[in-house]
Formats: sequence, C-alpha cells, structure tokens
Amino acid sequence: MTKKKKVAEETIAAPLALEKATATPIAPSATDKLRASLEELRGYEGVIGYILRNSTSAAIDLKDPSKLIEYAILSSSALEAGEELSETLNLGEVKSILVEGKEVKILSFTVGENKVSIFMERNADLEKVLKKVGQF
Amino acid sequence: MGFNEIYTTALNNVLDEMRKVCPDIQHAFIYNENGELIAGETETPQKVTNRIINAFDEILERAEAIGGVEAITLNGSMGTVKLYHFNGHYLVAVYSAKAEVGYVDTVVRVLVPTVLKVLEKLSPTPLKNVAEPESEPLGLEKPQEEGLAEKPAEEFPAKESKPEAEPAFTPEKLQELPSSLEVPAVQLIVENIGGLLVPSDTVRVDSETLSNWESAFEGKKIEYVEIETFDGKTARYKVKPIKDSKYAGKGVVQIPKKAQLTLEIKKGELVKVKPVMV
Repeated sequence: MTKKKKVAEETIAAPLALEKATATPIAPSATDKLRASLEELRGYEGVIGYILRNSTSAAIDLKDPSKLIEYAILSSSALEAGEELSETLNLGEVKSILVEGKEVKILSFTVGENKVSIFMERNADLEKVLKKVGQF
Repeated sequence: MGFNEIYTTALNNVLDEMRKVCPDIQHAFIYNENGELIAGETETPQKVTNRIINAFDEILERAEAIGGVEAITLNGSMGTVKLYHFNGHYLVAVYSAKAEVGYVDTVVRVLVPTVLKVLEKLSPTPLKNVAEPESEPLGLEKPQEEGLAEKPAEEFPAKESKPEAEPAFTPEKLQELPSSLEVPAVQLIVENIGGLLVPSDTVRVDSETLSNWESAFEGKKIEYVEIETFDGKTARYKVKPIKDSKYAGKGVVQIPKKAQLTLEIKKGELVKVKPVMV
C-alpha cells in the first residue's frame, strides 16, 4: 500500500522518475526462466517442441499442432508411469523419463512444480539437450 | 527339450549374460505383447512384475503418436529402469544408481535382437504365439501372492536366473470347450475401438453373437475369445459386448490397436473369432 502511494507521488512530481520506476524489471519467476531456456532449446536441431505446465498455466510450442493432444496425453502418461515405476522399484526421485519412439523421442521431467516435456526427432542430439536440461 | 523350453532357456541365458556384463542389474525380465512373462525374474512376485508391466503399458498404449515405442528409460536418484522393445518382446532391466547403463545398453541392443532372430528361424510357429496357448491375460493375478505383493522392490533382490526352473507365474488354465460343444468360429470384420482409455486385452463382439454362444453353452458367460487371423496367428482376449450401436449386427469385432499390431491385422480385415471358456 505504502509502496503504491509512493509511486503515485513520484508520477505526479516527476515523469522521469516514473519511467525509471516502471523500467525496473520484475525478477523473472522460475517458470519464466524455464520457458526462456525451453525457447532456446527449441532452436536446437531436431527439437520439434515442448510442453511446460504447472498447476496454473501451460505453455505449448509444437511444430505440428495436429499432434498436440496425443503428445500431451503421452507425456503426461509418461510422467505418471515414471512415478509409479519409481515407487514400485524404489528408484527414488524421478530425474527424467525418456520415451524413444520410431519417429519421435520425448524427454519428460519435473522442475519444482513445473512438468516439462521436450519433443525431438528420432535422430536429434539427446546429449546436447540433456546438457542444456542439466542447467535448469 | 521342446521349443518352448529352448526359447525360454535362450532368453534366460541372454539375461544371465547381461548380468555378467553389468552386475549392477537388480531385476531383468522379458515379457510379450500380451503381458506374459517369458524369461527372468522367477523370484519376483507376479504382482510386482504386473505393476511394472502395467505402468509401461500406460505409455505403450499412447505411443502411436510417436510411431510406437523402441525404448523407455526412467532415471531415478537411486537407479534406472529401462524397457526395450524388440519385435513384440519387451525386455525390462532395473539398474542400481552406479551401473554403467550405456555399455549394457549396447550389449542388449545387439544381443537380444540376434537371439530373437535365431529363435524365429528355429521356431515352428511365429514367436509371438509361443506363450499363447497357456496365456494369462493381464490383470489375472494369483490370490496366493497377494501377501507378497506389497513388499517394496528392494526386498526382492536380483538373483541368478535359473534356466531350468519353472517361471514364477503359473498360467491360468484356459480351456477350450470339449469338441462336442464346440461352436464354429465366426468370421468378423476388424474394427477399431475409439476412446482414450481402451484396455489392450479386451475385444468387443456384437451382443447377439455373445448371446448365441452363451445359449449354445447352457447360459455360461463367455469371458474370453480366441481370435485367429488368416495368417494363422492366434491370441486370446477378454471379450465384452459392443457398446456403439452403429456396429450392432454389422458382423464386426472391435479390436484395440495394440492387439491389431500383435496379430498383424488392421481395420477391414476378416478374422475368425471363437469363444473360450475359463
């Protein structure tokens, strides 16, 4: 409340000060950072898209939107199955699950509350993607 | 030694070799597309292997969008589980955290397809049918194993597989009816089953056909059918009546996509369907 008032006062007193105040960037959230990294990954050769979702939002970027629902269901199933398998086999915390198809491979993992799936062509450089993912 | 024994022994030997290459393999087993355990893990309760198979099945059923699954790798903080798909066979291997998965991965990808190819050449019938005459559909778990089922996996350490030992699972005895009661197979047209959560072990047949069979068998409920393709491939599935009224009386059998792949058939083809009593 106090802060709001202060900004308003500054607006009236000095327009330049307002400019300065609004230009101060709000610290990007973890999700924003993650999304930016995924955008970067999206430019890697063979990466065809990603799905980033959490309890409040979802970001999807796929080259072929016609497969969006199928990919979303598959990646969600993979993460759920991963939890089930980890529990059954005492594998601890799930780091990632990689589903290699005949045409496409999907790397799914969780970062905090965000569930991420990266879709790649079969021959995409997984090591390169994993290296980038390791920085998340 | 019958072919089935040769087949199981060969695959058990493959698993043994894998363990020699990588002693950090905690569990390893091979199952087929019907969810039947073929080799390995004789000491692990069937309920545990069924849970693993069912979890992977959740992914496999939805993998058509990516052209079907070749491999699935789950990396956990305390270990890794990997599923490989080779020509209708699924090999599951569980590694401890310190295992060098990459090396054994190469061995598996070379060794297993080679052995399967050799067995295919030796086989009098297609390999996919080997375990089917005494098949146990997924979900039929033995009640006496209930008590063991809830134990965590760590309580079932990997042990040397014994090629000569009987597999842990004892297949349910599915019997066909005596020939005096046998109803001739009906020829039906293959149709897909729509929907997201389609069980892969269940086919749907017109309720009138089911009623006819049940009447012929003195009102006994028909729970399983055997499907035979014109290439001679056979498999047993649970059966339920067709829900969609547009297929009523059309002479179709609705078969899940996965089962169609197993039988190497597709929509529009004719198959023979006959009831099987448990």
